[in-house]
Amino acid sequence: MKPAAFDYAAPTRLADAIDLLVAHADAEPRVLAGGQSLVPLMNFRLAQPGFLVDLQHVDGLSDIRLTDDELVIGAMVRQSTAEESADAAAGAPLLVEALGHVAHPPIRNSGTIGGSIAHADPSAELPAVALALDATMTAAGPGGERRIPAAEFFRGPFETALGPDEILTEVRLPRRPGGHAFVEHARTHGGFAVVAVAVDLAVDDAGTVTRAAIALSGVGPTPIRATATEQALVGTVPDAESIRSAVAATVAVLSPAGDVHGSSETKVDMARSYLRRGIELALDRAASRR
Amino acid sequence: MTTVDRPTPPVRTHKAERTWVGKSIRRVEDPRFLRGRGGYIADLVLPGMLHAAVLRSPHPHARIVSIDTSRAEAAPGVHAVVTGAQAAELTDPLPDFGPNPAAHTWRCLAVDKVRYVGEGVAVVVADDRYLAEDALELIDVEYEPLPPVVDPLAALADDAPLVHEPLGSNCAYDRTFEFGDVAGDFERADVVVTDQLRWHRSGGQPLETVGAVAEHDPATGGFRVHTNSLSFTSYLFMVATALKIPANRLDIVPMPAGGSFGSKLFVTKPLVIAAMCARLTGRPVRYLEDRVDNMANCDHHGSDRHYDVRMALTRDGKITAIDIDTVDDYGAYIQFGVGHHGNALAQVVGPYTIGSVRYRVRAVLTNKNQQGAYRGFGSEVNNWMLEQMVDKAARELGMDPVEIRRRNFIRSFPHFIPTGNVYDSGDYDAVLDKTLELGRYEHWREVQEQARAEGRYIGIGLITAQERSVFSATEFWFWFDEPGAPVTSMPESVTLKVDATGAITATLYSCAFWGNSPETMVAQLVAEEFDCDPHDVSVVYQSSKNGLPATGPGGSRTTVMLAGAVEGASAKIKEKARRAAAHLLEADPDDLEWRDGGFEVRGVPEKRKTLSEIAIMLHLFKHSFDEDVESGLEESKVFDHPYTTMPSADRKDLGVFYPFMGHACHLPVVEVDVETGVVTFLDYAAVHDCGTLVNPRSLAGHIQGGTAQGIGTALYEEFVYGPDGQLQTTSYLDYPIPTSLEVPELKIGHVETPSPWTPHGIKGGGEGGRMMAPAAINAAVNDALAPLGVRITELPLTPDRIRAALRAAGHGS
Amino acid sequence: MSTREITLTVNGRRTTLSVEPRKLLVDVLREDLGLVGTHIGCEHGVCGTCTVLRDGRSIRSCTTFAVQADGADIRTVEGLAQGPELHPLQEAFWEKQGLQCGYCTPGMLMRCVEILERDPDPTPQSVREQIASNLCRCTGYATITEAVCAAAEVMRSGARAGTEVAS
Repeated sequence: MKPAAFDYAAPTRLADAIDLLVAHADAEPRVLAGGQSLVPLMNFRLAQPGFLVDLQHVDGLSDIRLTDDELVIGAMVRQSTAEESADAAAGAPLLVEALGHVAHPPIRNSGTIGGSIAHADPSAELPAVALALDATMTAAGPGGERRIPAAEFFRGPFETALGPDEILTEVRLPRRPGGHAFVEHARTHGGFAVVAVAVDLAVDDAGTVTRAAIALSGVGPTPIRATATEQALVGTVPDAESIRSAVAATVAVLSPAGDVHGSSETKVDMARSYLRRGIELALDRAASRR
Repeated sequence: MTTVDRPTPPVRTHKAERTWVGKSIRRVEDPRFLRGRGGYIADLVLPGMLHAAVLRSPHPHARIVSIDTSRAEAAPGVHAVVTGAQAAELTDPLPDFGPNPAAHTWRCLAVDKVRYVGEGVAVVVADDRYLAEDALELIDVEYEPLPPVVDPLAALADDAPLVHEPLGSNCAYDRTFEFGDVAGDFERADVVVTDQLRWHRSGGQPLETVGAVAEHDPATGGFRVHTNSLSFTSYLFMVATALKIPANRLDIVPMPAGGSFGSKLFVTKPLVIAAMCARLTGRPVRYLEDRVDNMANCDHHGSDRHYDVRMALTRDGKITAIDIDTVDDYGAYIQFGVGHHGNALAQVVGPYTIGSVRYRVRAVLTNKNQQGAYRGFGSEVNNWMLEQMVDKAARELGMDPVEIRRRNFIRSFPHFIPTGNVYDSGDYDAVLDKTLELGRYEHWREVQEQARAEGRYIGIGLITAQERSVFSATEFWFWFDEPGAPVTSMPESVTLKVDATGAITATLYSCAFWGNSPETMVAQLVAEEFDCDPHDVSVVYQSSKNGLPATGPGGSRTTVMLAGAVEGASAKIKEKARRAAAHLLEADPDDLEWRDGGFEVRGVPEKRKTLSEIAIMLHLFKHSFDEDVESGLEESKVFDHPYTTMPSADRKDLGVFYPFMGHACHLPVVEVDVETGVVTFLDYAAVHDCGTLVNPRSLAGHIQGGTAQGIGTALYEEFVYGPDGQLQTTSYLDYPIPTSLEVPELKIGHVETPSPWTPHGIKGGGEGGRMMAPAAINAAVNDALAPLGVRITELPLTPDRIRAALRAAGHGS
Repeated sequence: MSTREITLTVNGRRTTLSVEPRKLLVDVLREDLGLVGTHIGCEHGVCGTCTVLRDGRSIRSCTTFAVQADGADIRTVEGLAQGPELHPLQEAFWEKQGLQCGYCTPGMLMRCVEILERDPDPTPQSVREQIASNLCRCTGYATITEAVCAAAEVMRSGARAGTEVAS
């Protein structure tokens, strides 16, 4: 379990990093962020890039900025740094809660926010958070910078809207006061999620849901929005029965692929249960913050 | 069949007062491991050493049409590439205790066809592991895929594809044993309980993989091989044969093992591969499995059984007979034969007075990694099966699980069970009482009641089961009518040396460190004999070439056997020291007594010689003694298995082969989330009786750690082969091992019922946690789900299986 | 492939060495620097036997290329004991038998160093949650949790004693 050989560069300027990707296009280059997904794949020789562009020394990719309406996280911010950041806690508590489920602290000490999102593992936590929060991904490439909404970013398992010479530089998460919850089932603690649910919602003083954003991981080729559930909740004062039927609206259309951790039916059962739990927890929190 | 008049060994008297045996001392091994100086196989670097890597088959079953190694041979840093066909010229088949080795031949690399995903087809030897793996990618193999044999029941069909054509069938072994009047007991039964049960395969998965570093000496043609595979004196003769050298040209040097749990007992393939490559290249070669090798190509997956069972009972809950029919999926080879079922037969009736037993075993070969050893060696599966049946019987009879067990306990010892094995001693009521108290059984029953009213599903598992110890090898050959050998002696040896300063060194043979504490245990036993501090005893491991007769660990035998050897060697040392002291004190040897580290004249404490005073005289001043006294103070003891007997010719009585019978009761309390099928622990009590304790903290560690593995077996771990024969679990992402958050902290209790037949009354106890936990946890989950009419008979109890069972019972969402 | 020159400070000692980019940090520690206390278990980041500290934080050295650690401060198990004197965590692991085979121990110890540096007074439950990052196949974790709590107590009283002397 040793990786195949590759060439390596650790530029300090973003423009140089992009140039390196372009220059080594024939070597199927990859960017190296924290490496916590890529290096295991390389050790198994399931990935064999001929060139790695290490982004850890690139200026300007490791900042966390909180403004009045958004949290901007540099792609190279380590997951543990974000987890411990007061700005992140204030700007996107859903993200911070989800980070607690991303593998284990020694992985999060290396793994980055951008690395996890760009890797686009269909069972990973952060893509679901990005989708639920309607995050915007900033990509830089030879043609300059562009912003990609989360809804367009995740294209398939391990597949995103990023071009081969583009680098994810930051993730912009809109600030949304309300209640959040991140819940998941993994076979053992720190394992990949079998099913994960990210919930972000708001209620008014009467308890009416004014906004609901819910995303699931593990039940499709990409994270998916529970749109039917969101629609069923908004404008209502949810009770146990209405939550149940709101959840059912999403669950009815799920058809996850079965795998070694569970059949399709069990994943649907899990999604049903965790959707309900996530919504209940988020509602509780939203109510207490009102 | 209760107490029968059969010859038994003389009953020993055990010392009432012990100083060191029974004390939880710090382990003498630990300082080096705590400093990262364990000296594992991966830490050994020899000058000029090369590294081997194995190309694994991607197919479960395929003919090898051709292999082209030319590109690999030309790759940088490559010294040799060996294909299976070439390896078959360089080596003979690997050791095999299977029923018909000529027809299911096992070699270090596949020759004409591959028989499971992961089987080695070629090996590359290169300057380092990176370069070796580079070259693996350059080997071109053309396969012709064959239909895979995956389901063991389908494999028994007449028209099933064959894993081994020369065998003519995929059934390597099929025999039915009868002990007692089974038919009569079933005819007379008031109640017959039947069930089908399924235990899937998992494995030891130590965090260190298996490896060997081999050096070849072209002058003698011999080898010196360092390995972390454990019972090396047992397999030495056979691997010498595989390497086509006389056994006295092979020296095996033990290395500490970073965990084994059975899976490093005999690991002969890495050793043969390393040695073959060392001879070919003229350089030392390391072959160390990586994690994928260790999961897919390790020859040590655990049991994989289907059961059809019938149990006969009287109306008042007395179990009279059990009829077991099991199909065991052995994978592509069968290196240990059906020894796993010998383990089961050693304690097939559990702690119960069951009078008759029928046992049919069919060993089926399929396209999977073969079975080896895993903590329990098949007896843990029997424990689970039996306890499931007892619980089902209790349910059908409307009895409490505690009550039905008490109704059937054996209470008179020694007790010969129907198969012929003996239980030496025990007090099952005492263990059960202690567990019920420690585990707060009544309290949890009340909590369970309340929880059910609230729609929560709490379950209490209670099992009482056996832990056999100190195996004898007859269980590997009583399967056949023609005995391969008379009764086996299975010795272990120790040498004790008292140097001129009085310091003691113990030498161990066929023994390596593997997470147990052989050094601490021997040091405590030596200290008990000589009244010294165990931390002052030096312990060394001997390689095979300078070894005394020894068998090695396995079947929880090390502590009892080494205790016997230490006792014997100590007696010899003391006898020589007594004579020497008598001479120096001008006293009659018979008037001397051992007291506080020396010999003194009985009743005259001032007339004494300490061990060091005696030792210096014997080492340096031999001429002070009689002519027949030799210099030095060093003695060895070869200790033979204390109690094992022949099977009968008709195999209606298998004889005594696992006589020192431990016992335990486990009481886990779980909650099942019926929406998701997730099981969590609320409490867990475990009480074990494995005779006299040597180091209670070490034993508690084995109970806690073995239970953690049992939790893995019960809830998480499974090597999954898809219907296409592909292994779907080749990493720890797919094979979940319990973390600290999946394992509850156990409440552990001990009962000590000394064995009448072993030194100090010790029994083995290293496997017990895993032999009990799967049965107990399954019982707890079934107890939780009882109100829903759901009972699960398949391990592991994954959320998927629990949800599937609930859905099938109409609890959809 | 070409090699690159990197500088590592390992257990306080600064070293410059030339490595292939693909060489894993664990292999550089073990092979180039002879620090074989850091073990290899799964080589995909799950088991934690290879855990070391990089700039004070625990990482998996089997999923880190040595070139990524250029300029970093690395601590391994070999840096814990001061001559004959064991680190309080090592002492506590010995006393409580927080190890059996010893293979996970160096990685587990380094993870526990980080845990106690970040929280000198953890509850047993907090320790249990935090050591879930590292697998141990032998102990069932109970004695490890005990050992970490015991070491924390020793280290706190040591720190207090140090403060008193200093003031």
